[in-house]
Amino acid sequence: MTTMPVLSIIVLTPALAGVLIALAGRGPHVPRAIAAAAGTICLCACAWVYATYDRAAAGLQFIESVEWIPSLGISYALGVDGISVPMLLLMGIVMFTGVLASWDITERPREFFALLMLLVTGVFGVFAATDAFLLFFFYEMAVVPMYLLIAVWGSTRKDYSAMKLTLFLFAGSAALLIALVLIYWQAGAGTFDLVTWAQTAFPPEFQRWAFLLTFVGFGALVPIFPLHTWSPDGHVAAPTAVSMMHAGVLLKLGAYGIIRLGVAVFPDGLSNWASLIAVIGAINVVYGAFCAMNQADLKYVIGYSSVSHMGYVLLGIAMMNRFGFEGAVFQMFAHGIMTALFFTLIGYVYESTHTRQIADISGLMRRTPLVAAAFIIASAASMGLPSTSGFVAELLVYLGILTRSPLLAAIVFTGVVVTAAYLLRMLGSILLGEASPAVADLEDPRPVRLAPMLILAATIMVVGIAPATMYETIRSATGPLLILVTGG
Amino acid sequence: MEYLLAAMILVPLSVGVFLGLVPERFGRAPRAIALATTASVLMMAAALWVSFDGSSARMQFELVHTWVPGLGTSLHLGVDGTSMPLVFLTALLTLLAAIASKSVSDQVRRYFTLLLMLEAGLIGVFVALDLILFYVFWEVVLIPMFFLISVWGGERRRYAAVKFFVYTLVGSLAMLAGIIALYLTTGSRTFDFMELGPLAAALPASTQIAIFAALAVALAIKVPIVPFHTWLPDAHVEAPTAVSVLLAGVLLKMGSYGFLRFGPQLLPNGFAAFVPLIALLGVVSIVYGAAVALMQSDLKKLVAYSSVSHMGYVMLGIASGTTAGVLGANVQMFSHGLIAGMLFLLVGAFYERAHTREIDAFGGVAKAAPVLAGTLVFAAFASAGLPGLSGFLGEFMVVLGSFAAYRTYAVIAAAAVVITVGYLLWMLRRVVFGPLNEERAGFPDMTGAEAASIMPLAAGTLVIGVAPSVLVSVAGASSAALAALIGG
Amino acid sequence: MTAPADIVRLLAPELIVALTGALVIVIDLLRPQVQNAPRTRPGVAYVGIAGLGVAGGFVVSLAGERGDLFEGLVLLDPFSTFFKLLFIAIAMIVLLVAVDPLPRFTRWPAEFHALIIWCTLGHMLLAAAGELFTIFLALQLTSLPLIALIGYAKRDARSGEASLKYLLLVLVSTAVLLYGMTLIYGSLGTSTISEIGERLAGQSTIQPVLALGLVLLLTGFAFKITAVPFHYWVPDVYQGAPTPVTAFLSVASKFAGFALALRIIVTGLRVPLDWSLIFGVMAVLSMTLGNLAAIRQTEMKRMLAYSGIAQAGYLLVGLAALSERGVASLLFYVVAYGLSNLAAFTSVIVIEQATGSTRIEDYAGVSSRAPLIALCLTISLLSLAGLPLMAGFMAKFDVFLAAAETGLAWVIAIGVVNSVISLYYYLRVVWQLYVSPSCRDEARIPVQVRPGVALAVCTVGVIVIGVLPEPVMRLTEHAASALFGG
Repeated sequence: MTTMPVLSIIVLTPALAGVLIALAGRGPHVPRAIAAAAGTICLCACAWVYATYDRAAAGLQFIESVEWIPSLGISYALGVDGISVPMLLLMGIVMFTGVLASWDITERPREFFALLMLLVTGVFGVFAATDAFLLFFFYEMAVVPMYLLIAVWGSTRKDYSAMKLTLFLFAGSAALLIALVLIYWQAGAGTFDLVTWAQTAFPPEFQRWAFLLTFVGFGALVPIFPLHTWSPDGHVAAPTAVSMMHAGVLLKLGAYGIIRLGVAVFPDGLSNWASLIAVIGAINVVYGAFCAMNQADLKYVIGYSSVSHMGYVLLGIAMMNRFGFEGAVFQMFAHGIMTALFFTLIGYVYESTHTRQIADISGLMRRTPLVAAAFIIASAASMGLPSTSGFVAELLVYLGILTRSPLLAAIVFTGVVVTAAYLLRMLGSILLGEASPAVADLEDPRPVRLAPMLILAATIMVVGIAPATMYETIRSATGPLLILVTGG
Repeated sequence: MEYLLAAMILVPLSVGVFLGLVPERFGRAPRAIALATTASVLMMAAALWVSFDGSSARMQFELVHTWVPGLGTSLHLGVDGTSMPLVFLTALLTLLAAIASKSVSDQVRRYFTLLLMLEAGLIGVFVALDLILFYVFWEVVLIPMFFLISVWGGERRRYAAVKFFVYTLVGSLAMLAGIIALYLTTGSRTFDFMELGPLAAALPASTQIAIFAALAVALAIKVPIVPFHTWLPDAHVEAPTAVSVLLAGVLLKMGSYGFLRFGPQLLPNGFAAFVPLIALLGVVSIVYGAAVALMQSDLKKLVAYSSVSHMGYVMLGIASGTTAGVLGANVQMFSHGLIAGMLFLLVGAFYERAHTREIDAFGGVAKAAPVLAGTLVFAAFASAGLPGLSGFLGEFMVVLGSFAAYRTYAVIAAAAVVITVGYLLWMLRRVVFGPLNEERAGFPDMTGAEAASIMPLAAGTLVIGVAPSVLVSVAGASSAALAALIGG
Repeated sequence: MTAPADIVRLLAPELIVALTGALVIVIDLLRPQVQNAPRTRPGVAYVGIAGLGVAGGFVVSLAGERGDLFEGLVLLDPFSTFFKLLFIAIAMIVLLVAVDPLPRFTRWPAEFHALIIWCTLGHMLLAAAGELFTIFLALQLTSLPLIALIGYAKRDARSGEASLKYLLLVLVSTAVLLYGMTLIYGSLGTSTISEIGERLAGQSTIQPVLALGLVLLLTGFAFKITAVPFHYWVPDVYQGAPTPVTAFLSVASKFAGFALALRIIVTGLRVPLDWSLIFGVMAVLSMTLGNLAAIRQTEMKRMLAYSGIAQAGYLLVGLAALSERGVASLLFYVVAYGLSNLAAFTSVIVIEQATGSTRIEDYAGVSSRAPLIALCLTISLLSLAGLPLMAGFMAKFDVFLAAAETGLAWVIAIGVVNSVISLYYYLRVVWQLYVSPSCRDEARIPVQVRPGVALAVCTVGVIVIGVLPEPVMRLTEHAASALFGG
């Protein structure tokens, strides 16, 4: 398609930036400038990929491939399809806004930004990789900086949270490693190429168990219900930008992995476990929502809401129909943007108030209407109100569920109600009323801090109002996937 | 070129003897002499590496010279893809160990004499292609090691040195018996590896098993495979830093190298009988080493047990009999050399500052000495298998390779990564993060000499991790040939 | 019949050695006496050494010749040449080493030197003897000076006691030996070894009387080579004798025993007996008991005595192989062991000179007081233990290989295990030298030139032979093949 290795640019620019930052001086200026520059490049490149992606043609595009470890059939192979393109765009946006949201980091900015860039490299790499080994490679690469970012720059029981997070994720990746090896030998083609794997007809029995392994491995990151406990803790402890990345993008890595490795390679496995996934998805939605209801800490609220929202993704996948798949991917994008916005806002508030307790904060509307408006937009998307991206996503998932099981739809709907309840309660508490003493110093954000909020809010609105481009993009990939799963 | 091999043994040996014999007034700068010597050896190793033909599995740079025809033994040197990286590793680590020996103040000349003799012995083990010559070097390694531990070691150095000595000696006598038995049963009247190979391979299986059993005892002790490992933690804890580096970095590889050299190439049927046991014990080592490391309160012991665990991967890879597994074992050997070297150097640096190695005696070191702490974090993650670093690659390949032959073991080995991450993170949490321990307030950061010894290793892990072809292109062909022999 | 001139020519080495001993005493008598002053008298030692050197030169010049004198009483072949050179070399080293410590225990150094030299003459004759009664005479020629030498420290009660013990031993072993010889002569009618061999070769069964004679004969040698179970005298005598004498005893005397045993067993005892088993058992017993006993020792000389018993076991392994290869390996072992043991004893002597002690615990810190001595002692002990790069390794290995060819796997197995045990006690000394903290004296130990030279020669020899054993192996193979009639 193109001679320019745009995907490599996206993946390697942050890595290069990370190295440059590591070599830079101690002050905050140079590192954040480099990071911002890298963010801009990546965002532009992602936007360009998104814009020029050929929606009419299915399959991988922007393919690059270089042999890496030929004796094992491992290559540095990149390529994107309709599922990864939105993810790249999401990551581009979150990365750029995340850098801006971290503009005021004062504690060891050099290390912070260097690690952030490493994390970003990993995430981009996962979304762009078409070689299973490479995907796994980048996946793990994203996990470790996460640990350090939380352990060093986090707050609230950061050691514990960082440890918990990393152990859960490594347990997951151990399962993945096993799955990978299993598939490699079963395929017998001596390659880690995902396309080759997807074209291989694995025996059903094998598919069943390999899918489960993949599901559990990536599921730890989603997070699926019993494995979710690290997630809210991690969100809370992480610094703002990391929470953004974490909730906005990292959770999608899990879902993305399930689709890329689980669904695409083991369609029979999916049909075998679909009902289980549906149940887990439903539990995620409802249980997450109820938990969010009981939280007093803003970040915990959003943390549990993420658990809840990721349930939609699972449900969408489990439905195994057109709307379900489209909805799942759409939800990944929508939730990513919306959560990133939430964490930007909470981070901004926390920086000046030093509290995240809902009870301590009130009257934001008066102090800073801009932030309040952004809160409202984010919440609207989270509740799935029309004209936001969340609406499109949830609608699609609901359509998918309804065509399959009205009963399940009814159950899941309680989740929607509870979500609305806790979000409205939160909004009412923090936005309305007299300004509490905690928010006394809160002011409208400077442009550099405002920019991420604006970008994220705008994305929510644009995609919500004009979802066609995104929808078409996603469909170009979910269509063939569906054919694979349902067998035509 | 082939004379370089001999020079790599003779140069350190003769300089060592010179240092040991000349009167004080002629050897004023033993460290400088040792540095110059080891540096020149490293350059020779690099020259060999560069001119090594990686596409061939044959012995290269062979040098044959008569020695004792009466005993059927000759000076036969040579390297293949398995030994070449180890030779380089030895040269590199000895140089770094010499750099790291800056703080040795007691009997300096004698210390460096032994260090250089150790280097000569180690290189000799890896390049000898005559069983007697091999045995001679194998024993030559023992003596300097014994003295280095017993004279310059810690408080319980005597106990540790004797234990080390007794263990390895029992092993090496079993090896001698095995070698003599080989000579007897083949009736070849030669100890030349290349000539003996086909003859030994033709022996009846029961004879091969008996002979290999004798050799395996020696090798297993050296590796060390659980349950032959108990000398290792003691030796490590008591040895001075630079010696620990060589002990973990190179000495342990003598064992695994021996398995590769003697097993498939010399006694294929005997080796085959032991393969299941080796695989089993390899996995046991992985899990046991990691589990015990989890319980350690002494930094150095933790790293020592992690060596047991990591060498388990090497053994599992060897036993797998697949190209991926054997190549993985090779990569893991090299990689563990770098990583364990790094970790021991760091532990040494910590000990020099605090005069304790108790993990709980530290805390918040990141605040006082960010570079040192950061490097420890890097090393720990390298050890835990962070993608992009060499350890990840080695372990991945081993798991991948062993899967074909030993599914359960491969799964366990993959899952054990979680334990590894667990003990490393827990260590980091207690040492690097958290509130600064008041006793460590004046903790100095990394010095130039420390950086000079540690950073090359860090760079090495990174290079191998990102561009494994550097190593794979050298070890690949030999590994494939060995794998074909093991796998049948 | 050999012409008298030829007799003189062929016996020149022995004659020169005999004259050297006499010359040493005469020169000493001619020198002015200083009453009650301790006398080092290096001059006489140098005369002795020079004389031995000349004798050695003659041995070498006769190396190409073969033949026998006095109708087979004395043989001249590469085997005897090998041992003659060895004994001369040992005597030279012992003379060199003994000069400085002599005043500690005697006022009569010249006689000491002369006795060593005459004893060496006995050894040389033993190596060359081809007939039973010549052997007997030669044995007496070695035993009598040794009795005197062992008791040379007149003021030391233990020296006297050792001398007495040795005297008793000599009496017993001589009686046994002589009885055995008589029985053999009586049954076969000849005392020439080669003829004994010829007559025995024809016999398919062996008469009881003859068997008894053979057993007694071998028993007599077993004392000499300190093999178990004829080793009881060794520790006390070694410990009690002046250390230079112990050094001499531990190598020369033992090797003379082996030279004899080899000659008789290989060329004489062609009888249907499983010699391999007998010597194998003796070897195993010597190794094991010697090593086990050595572990417990706290006194260096005693420890070396037991270690010598164990080493005799390894030598016997070469004998048990009963092959040309086995004998060659034994001879090589003799060289390696001789060098190592002399180096060890020289070190012990030097340290004893300075500290007055031969207790192992007093070796603590010697490495800092005398680094070179400690290094040499370490090398020699490691060589005795059979570690690579030292002569001992090659020697042990060679012996094992030879035994392996004869199928003595069990002996090898036990031998290998024994090496581990032996390393333990050798290393304990090394440990004291290097690792144990120095307890008392920090003063440097002076090293005189003479023992220094001897030590350097032996240590360098140990390493050179350990690394490049080929030349010596050629020599030993040559000597061994001569014994087998090649």
